[in-house]
Amino acid sequence: MTSSTVAVPVRRRKKTHLLPYLLSLPALLVCIGILIPFVTSVYYSMMRYRLNLPSLKGFIWFGNYKEFLTDSEFWNTVRVSMEYTALTVGVELVLGLVIALLLRKQSRFNNLASILLLLPLMTAPALASLMWKLMTNPNFGVLSYLVQLMGVKNFQWASSPNSALFTVVLVDVWVYTPFIMILLLAGLRSLPTQPFEAAALDGVPRRFVFFRITLPMLTPYIITAALFRLLDAIQQFDIIYPMTQGGPGDTLLVFQVRAYLEFYQYTNVGRSAALLMILWAITFALSNVFIKQWLKLRERARGLA
Amino acid sequence: MAQIELKSLSKSFKTGKVLDRLNLTVEQGEIVCIFGPSGAGKTVLLRLIAGIEEPDEGAIYLEGRDVTDAAPETRGVGIAFQNFALFPHMTAFDNIGSALTARGASASTIKAKVEKVAAMLKISHVLSHAPRALSNGQKQRTALARALAADPKIVLLDDPLRNVDAKLRYEMRLELPPLLRASGATVLYVTQDYKEAMAIGDRIAVLIGGRFEQVATPAAIYRAPASVGVARLFGDPTINLIPVKPRATDAGAACEISGATVPLGGAHPESAGRAVLLGLRPESLIVAGEPGADRFPVDVVAVTPLNEKSVLLMRTHDGREIFASEAEVENEPRQPGPAFARFDPARALMFDEASGARIGGRA
Amino acid sequence: MEHTSFAERILRGALIAAILAFFLFPILWIFLMSFQTNEEVLRIPPSLFFKPTMINYASLITGKLQTAAGSLDLAFMLNLWNSVLLSTLSVAVSLLLGVPAAYAFARFKFPGSEDIAFTLLSFRFAPPLLVLLPLSLYYQAIGLTDTYIGLIWVYQLIALPLILWIVRGYFEDISPDIEYAYRIAGHSWLQTFMRIAIPLARPGIAAAGLLAFIFCWNNFVFALILASADKQPVTVGALAFVTASGIQYGQIAAAIVLSITPTLALALYAQRYLVEGLSLGAVKG
Repeated sequence: MTSSTVAVPVRRRKKTHLLPYLLSLPALLVCIGILIPFVTSVYYSMMRYRLNLPSLKGFIWFGNYKEFLTDSEFWNTVRVSMEYTALTVGVELVLGLVIALLLRKQSRFNNLASILLLLPLMTAPALASLMWKLMTNPNFGVLSYLVQLMGVKNFQWASSPNSALFTVVLVDVWVYTPFIMILLLAGLRSLPTQPFEAAALDGVPRRFVFFRITLPMLTPYIITAALFRLLDAIQQFDIIYPMTQGGPGDTLLVFQVRAYLEFYQYTNVGRSAALLMILWAITFALSNVFIKQWLKLRERARGLA
Repeated sequence: MAQIELKSLSKSFKTGKVLDRLNLTVEQGEIVCIFGPSGAGKTVLLRLIAGIEEPDEGAIYLEGRDVTDAAPETRGVGIAFQNFALFPHMTAFDNIGSALTARGASASTIKAKVEKVAAMLKISHVLSHAPRALSNGQKQRTALARALAADPKIVLLDDPLRNVDAKLRYEMRLELPPLLRASGATVLYVTQDYKEAMAIGDRIAVLIGGRFEQVATPAAIYRAPASVGVARLFGDPTINLIPVKPRATDAGAACEISGATVPLGGAHPESAGRAVLLGLRPESLIVAGEPGADRFPVDVVAVTPLNEKSVLLMRTHDGREIFASEAEVENEPRQPGPAFARFDPARALMFDEASGARIGGRA
Repeated sequence: MEHTSFAERILRGALIAAILAFFLFPILWIFLMSFQTNEEVLRIPPSLFFKPTMINYASLITGKLQTAAGSLDLAFMLNLWNSVLLSTLSVAVSLLLGVPAAYAFARFKFPGSEDIAFTLLSFRFAPPLLVLLPLSLYYQAIGLTDTYIGLIWVYQLIALPLILWIVRGYFEDISPDIEYAYRIAGHSWLQTFMRIAIPLARPGIAAAGLLAFIFCWNNFVFALILASADKQPVTVGALAFVTASGIQYGQIAAAIVLSITPTLALALYAQRYLVEGLSLGAVKG
């Protein structure tokens, strides 16, 4: 067909390309695979539904939630979860920052140390919990022994309501501080050197440099790391459940542990779902903040790269 | 049969319409330079022809075939990008041979063709290197070799000499045209440098504001630009544009410049009575010391000696700044001060002040 | 130049030593414990010096435990095998599904892409039980409880968001012109994807795969809810181990050592990829 015989071409319609949809089909399927149980949870949370009393199953709208408001156990869950989150994130941030500062300079030793410090992060939290359970065993646990040497008699670790929180926080710190360390270390090493060189030339005291130069520049990384840990800590299950299954008593009944027990021990699907919805609302709000923050951080890293 | 034909090609982005119903016909073996200011849409045009972007409107014909809806790999063109876009994980050899491997050529054919084109572009000694080990000039020549290796009928070059140092640029400007002609391909060459366009192109298509303001030989564009826009883009220093309103005289026409009446003779009869811009190329202004009937007074404000020529910045009596360029005379360097300028009216260009289009004069 | 005083360097060294001790001691201790007989484990004070024995590992591997009361069957090797199977297959499936999807998200801006990406990412941060508990009811209804397929599908909820998020960034970093050049040279879209996009994104794919493997291996709650005894991976299996009667502490320690060794070894072997993946590309390592 020669071109000269063709009439003036008309405006084209936009061609729809199938390829992108085909490629992302599995991702879409997984999305649906998440949304269906999620919607089910929302649905169940608004029902009175116990697996062992199926005849009583029925809609009560926000009844479960209203019950929580006056349920002392619910507020206990909230309190314990908040305490756990505050303690773990607080300690891990400080400790992670200290370690990152200590290992800041690139040297063979420092690099080796930071690699070794990765190892706790690589252990399954559930297994780490087991490890610490063994180490704090009153009969033969090495930590029980060491603590005795230091003069503390009869420290019950996870068996006592007074020290159970301390014990699980310790395990969490052991597992997750390296994560903060990695992020902050990478952040420290990516900071521009000019401000520090200028400060050194001007003879600025080190404390000033740290608080007024290093820390502000590191803030986005700190916030990212903190948000990441906050999101994980408030829904902690893997460390607490193997250690005490939420006990002793109700000392460690954080959100997901309580929800699990409601479902399996009390077969109360409705209450369990409602509890999880509350937790989800908290994490959803937090994760929105996190994603925005993280994207900002990535753009900045791209700009420097 | 035309090798490349664009019919009413349009393309818009969120920022606005970039190409507006473009038409172009390129014959076989021609080298057409697509030239225009930055952001004019030259690269977009090339990408439309290659098949990387889709036009909103219009049709593209390559070798007589309607390829408007065809996928890039079926169009059979060779392309060299401005930023080289070499495959970082392959050697220069494999980069160059990629179009041949796509066609399923035998290993010996690939070897022969790659080595042939590498020899032509003088990069035989770096064929086994990875792109990160190549200098900019070598990368550029590898990209060119990759475009040419499979002997494509149509070659698209997107400002290939842009990211290359000045010395190499001049060398390539001399070497490229015979290379391209020897390959017999039809070439579309995008550039922002008017000197390059004039050196390389059989014809130049000047793209301004999404339209081809003029498509002609370099000489025609320089001597008979279709509009003020085109005239401004060619020439260094830029053409002087003096607003005048010539009036008819017995001898033809005359106009007022810098307080003096300058006769135009019979050169631009159609400009009489119209508001026009008088276009004077700097090299067509002759600066003299004495007044005369054919000249207007100026004040030479600054002289920039450039060895091959001198560029004079002059001011007319109404404060307008114009440039003249003249050959340097060794023992009589030009000094600033009052002087007189004259020109050959036949070489002057007239543009309608409102539309910018050129009026009459020589073709 | 920084002037660090001698006292400061001593302090620094002491701090680092203390930190290393804190973080490495538990691993070391469990490792030692796995070579102790029960009597040595129960001995007070605990000692660093003892005669190591392989009996714990032997009984785990052979699956038989000799006690005073007779012979017990240990199913731990099955747990280990389950972990290997589930993690490897889940990562393989997630790479197969996720890498092309990541490419689609990187290169094509199509309606709905950002929504899908956001949903998958937000699941990473949502409480897993929210999805798992209803899912367990559904699984029971359709008979997927305690099947490898059911578990591998659920594990996609862990692995796929990771793959998408990390690999997408790597695809975005490849200049599109490189892919265009390959296509104009005459190659189809698929050839370009296989020979240009994937090789150039390989570090990201490796990092994502590695991280996904570790997360799947370390996972606890998914298997706790959806797997029964014969499909449980080591994380759940070890817990059951501890609460079962008649198991000796040396064996528990050996089981833990066997369970954490793969991930620790991977971490040591590929730590550069790990760091980059963990910060999810937020920081270029």
